[in-house]
Amino acid sequence: MRRGRRRLILGSAVGAGATVLVYFVPLFHVIPLRPPGHAAAGAVFNAEAFVDRFWTERLIPGAARAANAAELVAAVRRDRAAARRTYGRSVGLGDVYYFFLGGMGRVVSVDKSSVKLSLDDRDPKLQLSLETGNIFGNAVRDGTGLLDVNDFANSQDFNAVSSEINRRIESQVLPALRNRATVDAKVRFVGCAEITDDDTDLDPLRVVPFIVAAP
Amino acid sequence: MRRQRAILSRLQPLIALAVLVLAMSLLSDRFLTSENGWNILRQISVNLCLSIGMTLIILTAGIDLSVGAVLALSGAVAAGLLKHGVAVAALGVTLEFTVFGTIVAGLLVGAAAGWFNGIAITWFRLPPFVATLGMFSIARGLTMLWTGGFPITGLGPAFGFLGTGVFVRVPMPVWICGVLVGIFVVVTNRTRFGRYIYAVGGNERAALLSGLPVGRIKRAVYTLGGLLAGAAGLIVTARLDSAQPNAGLGYELDSIAAVVIGGTSLSGGRGSVVGTVLGCLIIGVLNNGLFLLDVSPFWQQVVKGFVILAAVAVDRMNPRAA
Repeated sequence: MRRGRRRLILGSAVGAGATVLVYFVPLFHVIPLRPPGHAAAGAVFNAEAFVDRFWTERLIPGAARAANAAELVAAVRRDRAAARRTYGRSVGLGDVYYFFLGGMGRVVSVDKSSVKLSLDDRDPKLQLSLETGNIFGNAVRDGTGLLDVNDFANSQDFNAVSSEINRRIESQVLPALRNRATVDAKVRFVGCAEITDDDTDLDPLRVVPFIVAAP
Repeated sequence: MRRQRAILSRLQPLIALAVLVLAMSLLSDRFLTSENGWNILRQISVNLCLSIGMTLIILTAGIDLSVGAVLALSGAVAAGLLKHGVAVAALGVTLEFTVFGTIVAGLLVGAAAGWFNGIAITWFRLPPFVATLGMFSIARGLTMLWTGGFPITGLGPAFGFLGTGVFVRVPMPVWICGVLVGIFVVVTNRTRFGRYIYAVGGNERAALLSGLPVGRIKRAVYTLGGLLAGAAGLIVTARLDSAQPNAGLGYELDSIAAVVIGGTSLSGGRGSVVGTVLGCLIIGVLNNGLFLLDVSPFWQQVVKGFVILAAVAVDRMNPRAA
């Protein structure tokens, strides 16, 4: 009987303490569900619609933030490590980094998967390569710094954005570049480069373009 | 003489740890630094959480192979609730969990899994190996279902403080484990429940005939094991700022190793939480020292295996304390 009463008192004290604690430090907040028309929790992520909005509202306007391509390539030639510190952008752990650059160049050669541009006629070594083959990787998604993985529900959605950006580049940007890319033609571009290996990815710098236009 | 041998056998883990620390500090000048010391404590914190629960379970002559899976499930549930909340369409509301609510939920998930193990073992008389093996698979599957197979990231600095924060220059995981060690040293040494655990493990039949509620004690012990696995899951998730569906793989073996090296007998009734702390430290110092010496992680596994064998062999050669 005494033990039973002691347990009852102890249980009541714990219960009262827990109630007071939860009152001041709630376990959750009750929020009305969003009305129909808004994305419900757990709705399927539409990468195409997202990239559509992202492309017009943020990516194209964000091109103004791109580094000058001629200056960047010159900096890489002088000192790779310094160029990485000045212009490079890293995401997460690992050695991969990105450049976000734009400028104007003259077409010096065209092959199946790339267009080589000279950025300065006075310096024939100041060249880079615009990718025109199949686009892989996350250069544009991660190189511009306009997207944050923490804004997405999961890494699957984040990867879907990269795939959609690459698909859009292949279907809309690259055909325009191939049409314009004849030797000695001038091309204005904005794009990103993904550097996984300094030796192979910097000489020449391989850029995935998302804006290609006449000068 | 016998008493001296008994005392010596109790001090074996401490002696082994001292020898190991001495050896590592002689072999590497980076070992005996305060920064490395905090590193070791931080690294063993998750295993220590799991091992405290495993100690209680093994003291009752049981085993729990599901702690790693429960760790992953608890972390995933906590991360999911914090990131997305729970939509209750019938009421037209979403429950947005606070960090405190998330922690409570993670601990409750772990405790529930442990309680389920206890029920399977005591009500349905399943061997602990089988029951917890089943929970291993159930918890892994539930984790995959909850996360969709993908990590849940971006949990915020408030939750992250649990795993990466520092308070009075001591990392939070170390604080958490220190408090848990303190609590369970008192529970096992100073409470009736602690005496019951040893009694059940020492001789279950005698404990039953003495009127001890053996079933209830076992369920409590497995529930506590699950609760501690939940705590470990919260620490891991907070440290990584993400809940990984494959978190905790192999952790159950590390915790069993720590318990055994710390002197707890697999047949139950003998051992201590303090011994387990020493066991975790031995494994932690070994891993840390071998890493500083640039030894391949594969060889580290081999060395750890030999240490476990040696610990059990030496324990077998010791006379039982009177």
